[in-house]
Amino acid sequence: MLLIHCPYCDETLPEMEFAYAGEAHVARPVDPSRTTDEEWRDHLFVRSNTRGPHAERWRHVHGCARFFNAVRDTVTDRVLATYPAGSPRPDLPGKDTP
Amino acid sequence: MSRHRIPGRGRVDAGRPVQFTFDGRSYDGLQGDTLASALLSHGVHLMGRSFKYHRPRGPVTAGSEEPNALVGTSRGPGRTEPNTRATVQELRHGLVAESQNRWPTLSFDAGAVNDALSPLFSAGFYYKTFMWPRNFWDKVYEPVIRRAAGLGRAPTEEDPDIYASRYAHTDVLVVGAGPSGIAAALAAARAGASVTLADEGTEIGGSLLSDPGVEIDGSPAWDWLEDRAAELRDLGVTLLTRTTAIGYYHQNFLGLVERLTDHLDEIPHGAPRERMWRLRAARVVLAQGALERPLVFDGNDRPGVMLAGAAQTYLNRYGVAVGERAVVVTSHDSAYYAAFDLADAGIAVPAIIDTRAEIRPDLASEARLRAIEVLSGHTVTATSGRLCVASVTANPVTGGEVGEGRQLRCDCLLVSGGWTPSLHLFSHTKASLSWDAEAGTFLPDRSLEDLHLAGAGRGLWGYAASLSDGAEAGAAAAHALGHAAQATGLLVARDRIGTGITHGQLPTHRAPSRVRAFVDYQNDVTAKDIKLAVSEGMRSIEHVKRYTTTGMATDQGKLSNLNALAIAADALGTTPPQVGLTTFRPPYTPTTFATFAGYHRGAAFEVTRRTPIDGWAEENGAVWEPVGQWRRARHFPQGDEDMDAAVDRECRAVRAGVGIFDASTLGKIDVTGPDAATFMNRMYTNAWTKLAPGRCRYGLLLGEDGYVRDDGVVGRMAEDRFHVTTTTGGAARVLTMMEDYLQTEWPDLDVWLTSTTEHWAVVALNGPRARDVLAPLVEGLDISGEAFPMMSVAECTVAGFPARLFRLSFTGELGYEINVPARHGRALWEALMAAGADHGITPYGTEAMHVLRAEKGFIIVGQDTDGTVTPEDLGLGWTIGKTKEDFVGMRSLSRPDLVARGRKQFVGLLTADGAVRLEEGAQIVDDPDQPLPMRMIGHVTSSYNSAALGRSIALAVVENGRERMGETVHIPMPEGNVEATIAPGVFYDPDGGRAKL
Amino acid sequence: MGATHVPMVEDLPPRHRLSLRVREGGRGAVGAALGLDLPERVGERARGGGREALCLGPDEWLIEAEEADAAALARALGGVDVSHAAVDISDREVGFRVSGPGTLALLAMGCPRDVARIAPGRGARTIFHGASVVIRREAEEEVRIDIWRSVAPHVRALMETGLKELRAGL
Ligand SMILES: [Zn+2]
Repeated sequence: MLLIHCPYCDETLPEMEFAYAGEAHVARPVDPSRTTDEEWRDHLFVRSNTRGPHAERWRHVHGCARFFNAVRDTVTDRVLATYPAGSPRPDLPGKDTP
Repeated sequence: MSRHRIPGRGRVDAGRPVQFTFDGRSYDGLQGDTLASALLSHGVHLMGRSFKYHRPRGPVTAGSEEPNALVGTSRGPGRTEPNTRATVQELRHGLVAESQNRWPTLSFDAGAVNDALSPLFSAGFYYKTFMWPRNFWDKVYEPVIRRAAGLGRAPTEEDPDIYASRYAHTDVLVVGAGPSGIAAALAAARAGASVTLADEGTEIGGSLLSDPGVEIDGSPAWDWLEDRAAELRDLGVTLLTRTTAIGYYHQNFLGLVERLTDHLDEIPHGAPRERMWRLRAARVVLAQGALERPLVFDGNDRPGVMLAGAAQTYLNRYGVAVGERAVVVTSHDSAYYAAFDLADAGIAVPAIIDTRAEIRPDLASEARLRAIEVLSGHTVTATSGRLCVASVTANPVTGGEVGEGRQLRCDCLLVSGGWTPSLHLFSHTKASLSWDAEAGTFLPDRSLEDLHLAGAGRGLWGYAASLSDGAEAGAAAAHALGHAAQATGLLVARDRIGTGITHGQLPTHRAPSRVRAFVDYQNDVTAKDIKLAVSEGMRSIEHVKRYTTTGMATDQGKLSNLNALAIAADALGTTPPQVGLTTFRPPYTPTTFATFAGYHRGAAFEVTRRTPIDGWAEENGAVWEPVGQWRRARHFPQGDEDMDAAVDRECRAVRAGVGIFDASTLGKIDVTGPDAATFMNRMYTNAWTKLAPGRCRYGLLLGEDGYVRDDGVVGRMAEDRFHVTTTTGGAARVLTMMEDYLQTEWPDLDVWLTSTTEHWAVVALNGPRARDVLAPLVEGLDISGEAFPMMSVAECTVAGFPARLFRLSFTGELGYEINVPARHGRALWEALMAAGADHGITPYGTEAMHVLRAEKGFIIVGQDTDGTVTPEDLGLGWTIGKTKEDFVGMRSLSRPDLVARGRKQFVGLLTADGAVRLEEGAQIVDDPDQPLPMRMIGHVTSSYNSAALGRSIALAVVENGRERMGETVHIPMPEGNVEATIAPGVFYDPDGGRAKL
Repeated sequence: MGATHVPMVEDLPPRHRLSLRVREGGRGAVGAALGLDLPERVGERARGGGREALCLGPDEWLIEAEEADAAALARALGGVDVSHAAVDISDREVGFRVSGPGTLALLAMGCPRDVARIAPGRGARTIFHGASVVIRREAEEEVRIDIWRSVAPHVRALMETGLKELRAGL
């Protein structure tokens, strides 16, 4: 069970309070009707499937109920950083991935 | 006093005898014994039969790594356990133990014929032998093999014990309370850290419990232990004995199983048998020690052959001599100390066979003092004895040549092939290991976790080294947490230091086909099997393991892995790291399923949610059905009604009079704020702007992919407030989805969402007489048809309770849904029952509700939809606001495959024979005579008997179904083909006049 | 594990509960109307005039008051002219109190969070025996727990098992 720092509660808490919510920074197009079928397909279905640091969304569902973003290394399963929804992905110093 | 008990020795209590039985025979042991030590005190080595060959076996260890001495234990109905390790099970009064995998008796076992047939059971024999004929596998081979091979029998009765679970948080967790663990715990606790010290044994001490001769800081080891135990208590260290750390998970989260009652004569009332600690530590110190490694030679599995360290433990800790005449065979100095302790206790030790040519001079002279002959540079090529070892053959090895053997008589053979650091937990962290060629073992390398290793667990040997290493690890852990910590050194006298070498299989001059040298005792894997696997092409230890099953028994190869690896590496002419080490996985030792389940069994298996009206339904004979986590009344049978009869009666009552239904489980979400309507417009397909306060509308929610996710009636309570209802199962999901969009896509909207599902109890009244029942109870509202028409909502008082009253219909009849604060739910229900008595009011359950809505063609999301169904597929295109520019899922509705022809559309189905009810989920085809596999054009989503129509009805999705009204389709079933006609989905009152009364 | 400590578990009478939502800019105005200085940080509480606010999220407070205060609360909030939501959830949850030595042990049977680190006087929404709960730590060995009504019987049954376990002293 991971420990996750909620950027809204400013506390590091057990994973059981949280729910995973998919890849982060996949913004809904402002006007979906103007997207091509290919663009819309990519928005709906195409994800990065990153090996290594991956920006993803979590929700502190049994807590402050906020959605927020996290960078988690998919190799080590370590959460490297968390930050509020709407903030840009932070630059992280090169973390070693064995 | 039993024959092999040595008075005055050990930590057992000679004044407290304990009676127990083994295979029906009564024995006595002492308080403090394990089952194994007590049996050994009576000279009983034979404790079981091996898994495959049914070879007689006795204990080889004195700990949890034991592969052989597995017995069944019981203490009354339901309290039976197979494969209990006799070396771990503490003796208790009345313990009943039985040997396993033998018939008719342990000493004469018919299954031992397998041993004579052993050439048939070589590595990979499953893969080779039972290939043909194919259908023999299920019928003949597998049942026979399963009967013949195996361990204990699973209990058949329900386990009456309680299994507990607890979360815990500590600064420093120390795993292992041997000398290094104790030193670590003391150093950390003295520095001010909160410390938890866990050990699988019954008391702290680890190897010191078997080495009373060592002196620490001037005190005999056991006195030192007693003082340290008191100090740990005074420092507030949480001491968890009989507690095995079974798994090491992310971020210093460990699972530890504490055994609470297995050692007690009586189980205290309410006491759990075991407890799973889910413990989070800021720092972890692994001080798990090392496991002694057996040597691989012919006949190394006879009862009486045991690890030297185990014999030393039985002697010093339990006061038990494992034999009267012990020969030692070793490649490590440590076995000399065992030999000396046994000799000093009066046991004959004629010889130490050492595989090494050079013997440490001090050990050689100590041996001489005790008249023990040391055969250096020797190997062992055979043992003899049927149910217990009787002799061992030692042969000199010179220049790689095995010379003539010499038979040495003995009744126990003590073996040591060196020591393997216990890196199981360390490996659970995905840590890397490094190969130490000199020690012939793997050592810890790097881990991402905040952990420290100490003592023999990282390859150190000797008490002084382990104690100071432990103290340093404990101090480092405390220091990492900001405590000023010191590692104090300790003076150790009479230390037992040593080194050794390791082997694969010991050299032998005998024909390989005649040698039975066991590597994995529990799975009966021999050195020959491993060499055969290599010769048949296995190159990685992962393949060798699966081909031979070595290391795959319940002990996970604690004794065998490195020997198997060394033998495979020898056969491949390479080094062990090239062959690899299999991954250790939790649990470290076998763990009961019940401990994983903890409190979550029986009625508490998972959450059962109950509505405020649950109690009434229970008292009135409801038959329950689980819906999501809820239990809902499915129907209310009267007399000896079956479900069909009860549902027919309930449906008729709603159609002809009035029915009452508990709709409390419906999800409810309060949407409040100036942007509430904007938000609703963006979420739902419908247009909400013009919906006036006091009115309701059926809302449809899609996923962004355009498929229907949920539906429900939404009431506008005020300009800025909507009362949204969702399906029972969708409540949490819909709120999550709404929150997701609101928080992350439209954070600018001034609107807030609150779950009110449980604030409101909801009672639905349906039927032509619903208003007659309700009207007299309503205050503050005119509910006449004109003043309060279909799809109205208002606040009022019902039966004296503040209420939100909806007029809507999910049955096609005049209907109301009365929401009152949950605490009043049952009182409202009872008031309506009383008010409706003269009208024949009838409670109905979810099944009748399903039938009534199906007669009207109303969908149930999740039953008639499956996540690939669009509004258009359902004929619900009318819900889409025509002028809307965007809502969730709108863009997807023009995706090419969502507008393509041939989509499955929601229709009704009428079987040719109205008495035949289709099966939900059944596939639909056009031509039942087409060749297999048939082309399926849809499936049945809902199917019931309709009392109103006097026949069966069904709903289905069928390709282009709406264009095919009146056409015949086929539903092939095992009993035969069923013919049905495609029909409009609305079977009853198609004009909808009844709901508008 | 030493001495046997068995806490007391008691059901609490209904209280008036509001879920209050307001953005940071409106916090002061809404708080003033309630007569409470709405705390800014998650987990903090404020009390006054028989009312209590617990900050559960960056824009979310749980307001508790006597049932008789409900109408006055509604009036007070009705007069606030900043956007907010106040939803009556009085009947959504039921409350109970666990008190006495052993309280934290009983909670540790189902709560993965370290309740000892919720300082007395603070509170939190968290998870207990699989259910979302609001915990208020009233004293070292006293907590109040609000839990959704439908799951309360399940959780209470598990707590009874836990009390038996504590009574057994193992
Ligand atoms: Zn949070």
